[in-house]
Amino acid sequence: MKVYPVLIKLLFGLLIVLPLVAGLSYALSYSLGLSGLLSKGFTLDYWQKALTSQNLWVSFLYSLSIGLVSVVTSLCIAVSMALSWNKSIQQGRLSYFIFLPLCFPATVMAFLVLQWLSPSGWFSRIAFELGFICSLNDFPNVVRDFYGVGIIFCSVLLITPFFTILMSNIYRNENLLELEKLSKTLGASSRKTLRCVTLPILFKKSKMTLLLFVIFVMSSYEVPLILGRQYPQMVSVAIVQKIQKFNLNDIPLGFAMSVLYVLLVILVLVLFGKPSRKYLKPNIK
Amino acid sequence: MHKPIITIILICFLGCKTDKNHEKNVDLSDWSVVDAKGQNQSMNMMMWKGDPKINAYMNDFVLPKVKSQYGIDVNIVSGQGNMIVQSLMTELQANKSESEIDLVWINGETFYQLRQIDALYGPWTSVLPNTKYINFDNPFIGKDFQQDIDGYELPWGNVQMTWIYDSAKVKNPPQNKAELLDFAKAHPGQFTFDNHFTGLTFLKSLLISFAENPKELYGDFDEATYQKYSQQIWNYINQLKPYLWQEGEAFPENVPQMHQLFASGEIWFSMSNNDSEVDNKINEGLFQNTARAYVPDFGSIQNSHYLGIPKLSQHKATAMLVANFMISAQAQAHKSKPEVWGDGSILDIENLPENQKQHFQYIAKRRYAPLRSELDQNALMELHPEYMIRLAEDFRTKIINP
Repeated sequence: MKVYPVLIKLLFGLLIVLPLVAGLSYALSYSLGLSGLLSKGFTLDYWQKALTSQNLWVSFLYSLSIGLVSVVTSLCIAVSMALSWNKSIQQGRLSYFIFLPLCFPATVMAFLVLQWLSPSGWFSRIAFELGFICSLNDFPNVVRDFYGVGIIFCSVLLITPFFTILMSNIYRNENLLELEKLSKTLGASSRKTLRCVTLPILFKKSKMTLLLFVIFVMSSYEVPLILGRQYPQMVSVAIVQKIQKFNLNDIPLGFAMSVLYVLLVILVLVLFGKPSRKYLKPNIK
Repeated sequence: MHKPIITIILICFLGCKTDKNHEKNVDLSDWSVVDAKGQNQSMNMMMWKGDPKINAYMNDFVLPKVKSQYGIDVNIVSGQGNMIVQSLMTELQANKSESEIDLVWINGETFYQLRQIDALYGPWTSVLPNTKYINFDNPFIGKDFQQDIDGYELPWGNVQMTWIYDSAKVKNPPQNKAELLDFAKAHPGQFTFDNHFTGLTFLKSLLISFAENPKELYGDFDEATYQKYSQQIWNYINQLKPYLWQEGEAFPENVPQMHQLFASGEIWFSMSNNDSEVDNKINEGLFQNTARAYVPDFGSIQNSHYLGIPKLSQHKATAMLVANFMISAQAQAHKSKPEVWGDGSILDIENLPENQKQHFQYIAKRRYAPLRSELDQNALMELHPEYMIRLAEDFRTKIINP
């Protein structure tokens, strides 16, 4: 009997699925007024408030756009690096430099970005000393700004190394170097080879990972807390503030917002992700 | 092969212990029982650990003293306000019979929330021998955010909100709302307030300043009074907004962020709910020694901070012994030294016995903040927590995202 796989599935159920389902059920029952010390019984008020909250939808769209811009920017940098310096990334000293940001927790990276880019940060001080600006507050405002430049910059620093490893591995595993040579032998230019062979394969193989990273950036908490502003707000920060600020009666609304967010993420995954069995069980031949 | 996995699963299930309440049937209204029952135990205290001086006071003074006097080991756990509420609320929702926390450091808004969910043990403070020296008649001590404390929390310290400015850059700090507006227009981007407790305390003092008589706002929350004066606040803040830091489009999330901006020279003003903070931060080297604290003419809010015992605490007697030590003249006097913490005492020092009064002699005066006696003249009372809830919500909808 194959006991080991059964136990693995049991452990997966106990440690991953059960807490997740229990957490979601609890949040749902809280949002419906069925749980909580201040609950007054079943109500749809909090869901109505969540669904009609302009702030919440702005937060969703803002988070989505930050996630998309961060992932696309990282992807461009990672693909460029993977294609330009493929051998150096795998072996050379360059690999240490590129993968260094992997050592930094998100909070530390966010504080570093704050120290670099805030009006009283290093770049601002250098610009002031060099006479480019008349006062520290003349430095362009790129942290706590409306467009989330600081959040995007920090997210790009955090996820680009992952993407570089990913693209570099796909490039090797899919024998893209050989395919590129073949394409050029058949008469395609370097540009056409990149557009019709290299990039489509890289994108196809990494599609699901990219989508998951968009969701990862959308849901991040520490980075937008440190580098973001009060409006617009990333969705995790908005939800935590509802649950943890001064008004205990806002907690069910916070839970309704979080369940709604989970449902939207699942919807996005179902529509665009299609996590096939092939993806979940890669290359078993 | 699969034995380790089965072992892990068994440990997970067998590790779930049954709760027992050690003090369920003990009468803690008798101090001799508390004294006997509370000694030689361990207990957990949850408190804000964001200030090195406060941490040092607890670790280097309170903990060794209660260990040597009562054999009590106090384990300090980091957590404040909402974290305390969330922890105790989770325990109550989970129907736990014992709390992991035995003593909490709280203020009015947390007290309000903990009373809402009935998470505090009480009344217990009158059992403590040292409470006879606390001046409960002082409304800044006997009432917490306009709520009667009813023996459910023990006053531990008293502070007043101050504005902090850089005297090298600001020669005449603004004393009233008109001067503040003029100053902000003349020096755009140099003034702001945070989006958390201290910023809301600033808004509360502004709210009171618009009232013809502050007493109109004292007592329970009143919707009509709030509407009457809050509109004036938002009109005023909207006039001020374009001249605030980042043109009022963003606000520091909390006081540490604001202190950081002040220390780096990005803004010329900061604020603190602790009137001795400026001395502390200069001594720590965070602020330049040109920083000064003051209270504008329209006043600032003075309040006390308290100790509470969770209803489900399993070491209530131990917590009471520790709390009694923390309000002793010796502990309070040490805490009020500027080089230690600089926290105001809640004891009625004039009425202390001579041998205890001597603890308060020879305490060095602070150098960069006005004397407490001067601050007292501009002290405003805390408002009911509902005012803060409404101000926080309206600040979001009328100023941050109008």
